[in-house]
Amino acid sequence: MDFFGQQASTRLRSRLLLLGFLFAYAGTGAVMYFGIALFSVQVGLIESVFAPSAPVAAVIGLFWLAILAGCFFRFLDVRAGGPALAKKFGAEAVVEGESSRYREDRGADRELLNVVAEVSVAASTPTPEVFVLRGERSINAFVLGTHQDKRALVVTQGALNAFERDELQAVIAHEFGHIAHGDLEVNMRLLVALGGLMALDEIGRMLIGPVTLMAMIRRTDDQHVHPGVFVGLVMRLFGSAGVLFGTLLRSAFSRQREFLADATAVQFTRAPFALASALNTVSEAGDDAPLHLHQAPELAHLCFSGRSVSHARNWFARVFTGWFATHPPLQSRIDAIDPHFVVKRRKLVKAARVAQREGDIGGMVAAASQAPVGPGLSPVTLMTATAAVVHASVSGAAANAAFNSAGPNAIPNAGPGAATTVAASNIPYLRAVTPAKPATQQAGLSDRIMLLLPDGRSCLAILFAFFVPDESLARREFLDEVAYCYEPEFSDLIQELLQLLPAELESDRLAIVEHATQVIKDALDMDKRQQALLTLETLVRRLGHEDLISYASLQLMRRKLAIEFPVVVSAQQEAGTCREARGSKVKTFEAMGEEFALMLSLMVEVSGAPEHELDQQYKRVLSCYTGEDLPRRSSREPGIVQQLERAFQTLYVQPKSIRAAFVEHCAEIVLHDGRVTKREQSLIALFAASLGCEDVDLSPEHATSQAA
Amino acid sequence: METGTILFVVGGLAAAAVVYFYNQLVALRNRYQNAFSQIDVQLQRRYELIPNLVETARAYLKHESETLTAVTEARNQAELTRQQVAKAQATGAAAVSATEGGLLQSLASAENSVAGALGRMNMVMEAYPDLKADQRLSELHEDIASTENRVSFSRQAYSDAAMRYNTACEQFPAVIVANLFRFEDAALFEAANDEAREAVKVSFG
Repeated sequence: MDFFGQQASTRLRSRLLLLGFLFAYAGTGAVMYFGIALFSVQVGLIESVFAPSAPVAAVIGLFWLAILAGCFFRFLDVRAGGPALAKKFGAEAVVEGESSRYREDRGADRELLNVVAEVSVAASTPTPEVFVLRGERSINAFVLGTHQDKRALVVTQGALNAFERDELQAVIAHEFGHIAHGDLEVNMRLLVALGGLMALDEIGRMLIGPVTLMAMIRRTDDQHVHPGVFVGLVMRLFGSAGVLFGTLLRSAFSRQREFLADATAVQFTRAPFALASALNTVSEAGDDAPLHLHQAPELAHLCFSGRSVSHARNWFARVFTGWFATHPPLQSRIDAIDPHFVVKRRKLVKAARVAQREGDIGGMVAAASQAPVGPGLSPVTLMTATAAVVHASVSGAAANAAFNSAGPNAIPNAGPGAATTVAASNIPYLRAVTPAKPATQQAGLSDRIMLLLPDGRSCLAILFAFFVPDESLARREFLDEVAYCYEPEFSDLIQELLQLLPAELESDRLAIVEHATQVIKDALDMDKRQQALLTLETLVRRLGHEDLISYASLQLMRRKLAIEFPVVVSAQQEAGTCREARGSKVKTFEAMGEEFALMLSLMVEVSGAPEHELDQQYKRVLSCYTGEDLPRRSSREPGIVQQLERAFQTLYVQPKSIRAAFVEHCAEIVLHDGRVTKREQSLIALFAASLGCEDVDLSPEHATSQAA
Repeated sequence: METGTILFVVGGLAAAAVVYFYNQLVALRNRYQNAFSQIDVQLQRRYELIPNLVETARAYLKHESETLTAVTEARNQAELTRQQVAKAQATGAAAVSATEGGLLQSLASAENSVAGALGRMNMVMEAYPDLKADQRLSELHEDIASTENRVSFSRQAYSDAAMRYNTACEQFPAVIVANLFRFEDAALFEAANDEAREAVKVSFG
């Protein structure tokens, strides 16, 4: 990193920004002057805009005085240094050896101090004073102060509670990244410049007092309103406009700096995974405000996380929030740090879960053999229990270490020191990754559904019910066809089920299919199953309701009912009889670009993002599989279903590792936006089943959040 | 324009360039030397903490005296080497230079054996739940973990600074100035032998 070049460009940028603020001030001043003067002319106080009378001039002077005084006081604050500023914002200093008010905070405080000292060693800067915002429950951190010796690092209590040690380290390294890039100097100047405008707003608020605008409008006719209230209103108007403009300027500056600070944080700690997981923790904390302080808007651009572009469907809302965003979206920051974070994290969770399960088994063994022995502990069982626990933690730690070692790859000039990883923090970290509850069975069918679907007949009926169209004419036609193929009673049963379970058909689709196919498999033999499914398929196909999702459901049922793809069976037989033929039949991995493109584009489309994001995501994912630039396909294309079927057949004969990796990758696409819709879930289940892989476990917290 | 004036201007520019590059190199050299003394500070801090940790753990780990002795021995060895380096640094005119590379390497490998012994001890401690519950020990543990981080971060910072200095020394216009004023390459802080590089092996026999 070139510090000199960096600093030079920072200086230039900071001058440009200050120039922008000067313009903002001049603009505010001009608007203020003409506004007041024109109003006075209208009212009849003065005759010309350019010849204000003494009272008008006094009012304008008062406004300017307010702004300058605001700037001046804020300047005094900033000059007093970061620690003074931090205290002003209500943060509590953390000093070594001094105990906090609460005993349980002491360990965390010690850890915080240690982490700050570590990172300042890594950044080769003096250690700043450390402060904690005790009452603040949001997860955030920021630095204050311009001069090297007078810096303060403020961390919210929420961040202390939420982050593990290495995440905290990454977050603090991010703040040191801001220091290293000289963002603080710029930010402190902006704080001064903004202070004046905020003062105007504040004085306006004081002048207005408790009077609301609506009350004023209603009252003007018969009651007298103090003129000061008007002045206050105008002041607030200009003040808010100025703050708005200033915020726009500042946000534009701030957004770019965040990526730089993230990159520097990784340079300091060489632990990209920790930073990504810290960002993930913030994003999982939800839509809570980044900071609840009264001064939050002023501090927003100094923080670790802040407002970013909202994911609203409305483009206007997106553009509008985009202008005011002080930070880039968390997801794009995570992607920039570690593009495969989601997959790595899921693997880690899985490893931890396995470790936990093994640990549990060890514990159970100990408990079971302990019971008859009583209080006299049997040393052998204790040994097995501890061994299991130790083994579990070691295998988890190994997984974690593997990710840590990915660190130097992310930065090419990683020094030799990076090789020393810190073993001590591994184990508590894993505990955080493990979800609070163990993997729950996602198919939690309610008793009601179980009661309604006791036998094979009703289960078959519910499978048909999935494909009954909503529109009344088409519905009649469908049911008539069913009645014709089977008997009228069966058609009635379908109708009955439709009325009884309208909501569940949508929400519990997968679970119901799972249950129904299980029952049918026991009740009917192979030929009958095949017959029934064939009838259903022809019905769906003939009546023209075939779309991607119904195709997915049909295929899924086919898999679950253990009815093989006829083509695949023949392919396997061929492979058994003549090996030579196989070589020509099986496409190589490189040649399957088209198949991958098709499946991935369907997957991406189902994820339901806006059009331009779809394209972007599709390109990103496709680049993992093939170098060719294939166009994105749409599920609305004619004949897409047949193509998909062929793609499945091509992929099915590939080695299992490739298939499993592909399905994992699809799951990553689905989890990309943090939500799993039913469409996504059924498509993933279809892919997994069609490719002969185990069901992908879309982690339980996602599933439950979707159901809610 | 006379040739004299042109020569004067060109000479002035060259002199200014030399001054600029010289100053830049000096600044970078000071920075990496400062980074090296940071390592020393952190190592010292760690060597002071280790006996504390060993003494506190001894009460619980009566059957693991081998591990504890290994830690103590590695620590003493590393402390000796550290003092040698500090002495060489104090007497030598140039603080750390390529000639001291050998000493630096032996410090690095002593350093690695301490890290290995500590790692083994951590693993052993994992197996003793009542030991982990000890308030004082957990504080010590946190401090040691933090010091480990600081040591590795200071090494990293030193490597970064040394690399930046070396690059600056070797790049084109500056290389003339560097040769003219005998700026020597900074030695990197690396382990001498391959054994020391190996990760700590843990066995549960």
